[in-house]
Amino acid sequence: MSTRIIAKLDVKPPFVVKPIHFEGLRIMGTPSKLAKKYYDQGADELYYIDIVSSLYQREILFNELEAVASNLFIPLAAGGGVKSIDDFSKMIHIGADKVVINTHAIQKDPSIIDKAAKIFGSQAVVINIEAKRWKSFYECYTDCGREQTHKNVLEWSKEVESRGAGEILLQSVDMDGTCKGFELDLASEVVSISNIPVVVASGAGSIEDILKLIEVANPSGVAIASLLHYDKTTIYDIKNVINSHLVV
Amino acid sequence: MENKIGIINYGVAGNIASVKKTIDRAGGSSIIVDNPKDFELIDKVVIPGVGSFKDAMLELKNDNFLEPLLNFDRPILGICLGMQIMAKLGYEYGKTDGMGMIDGQVKRIACSENVPHIGFKKIKVTAPNILLNDIEEEEFYFMHSFEILDCKSITSITQYGNHTFVSSICKSDIFGVQFHPEKSRDAGIKLFKNFIEI
Repeated sequence: MSTRIIAKLDVKPPFVVKPIHFEGLRIMGTPSKLAKKYYDQGADELYYIDIVSSLYQREILFNELEAVASNLFIPLAAGGGVKSIDDFSKMIHIGADKVVINTHAIQKDPSIIDKAAKIFGSQAVVINIEAKRWKSFYECYTDCGREQTHKNVLEWSKEVESRGAGEILLQSVDMDGTCKGFELDLASEVVSISNIPVVVASGAGSIEDILKLIEVANPSGVAIASLLHYDKTTIYDIKNVINSHLVV
Repeated sequence: MENKIGIINYGVAGNIASVKKTIDRAGGSSIIVDNPKDFELIDKVVIPGVGSFKDAMLELKNDNFLEPLLNFDRPILGICLGMQIMAKLGYEYGKTDGMGMIDGQVKRIACSENVPHIGFKKIKVTAPNILLNDIEEEEFYFMHSFEILDCKSITSITQYGNHTFVSSICKSDIFGVQFHPEKSRDAGIKLFKNFIEI
């Protein structure tokens, strides 16, 4: 199996929280404890996203991230409130392998993608896309699904790729936290036009949902939050089921 | 000899904290090398790597690390970009001279799969050596857009779709891995144990 199974921690320091449609936060535990739990379950990677940093316009809380990184021997992608090359550098120095950026890149300065890719390499630059369906297309949102950008998700995907981004984290404002399945059309469209890896998040309610996503869209990775936080299954089980279903 | 491992801290891009904590977990003793003078304190060197070929070479030069690295006569381990810059030539953001410790040139991965190549993959050992002792067929974490070509010192290869690339090299005391042992769970810790024991 080559689909990466990634645990996603949406963090409102000092806790991992889980919103529904990016709203109504519930406390799930501490970042370090959950990171350790998913590491032990066999996660291929971990995403740590401070979901309120941009919204509250406050500084990034590096201590929380450092605590997560200290016991992890798998890749860690971190983001939330990233505004400068200095933020990239600090995050990488304390143990992040990839830095996730959305709000600043799309609202203020897309060229930060080019700069970061040149300094840290494309593989370290992950673009978080918060997509929301609007009429016949998907629009990019920012600030944890609050702010409209009027940017088309497919056009933005191509743009970030050409600027040197190394990965797209594709989230759906409509499906996130609902456990009702992935937004398959969105995932298929973005995966099919991208030449860089796409990690699809938002909506996993069962292992079957994950299987369906892999069969329909075949993303490079799947990011899972609620399903794991509520102990509905484990990464170990997800991998087993995928392996037995998708024998090549 | 204390067997102290120095981790080169160059530029803004290195993931030195991850490397240090993995060496510590493997039972080693390590220090961050911020200054060429620190070379007096160390017995082995790790060159971590996150960044681009061009910037990495520039930073090593500006920080005066090139000379002590080239003169270092004990084991060196280059990780990802840290391995790539050991080669003679790199083609990331223009053509740049590497350290030239090993043959080869570094070019963007040319294959039909997505680039960067990201994820856990098995390595196939083609030339057994002390660094890869007891870790044949293990999975390691890869995260790269470039690969080393025309290299004669290959010790393992990895398959990505229909494409095969070099996943590790060795030339006497010079070791390099394209993957990230500091991100590869127990297999990576084992690799660092091997490095500590050299």
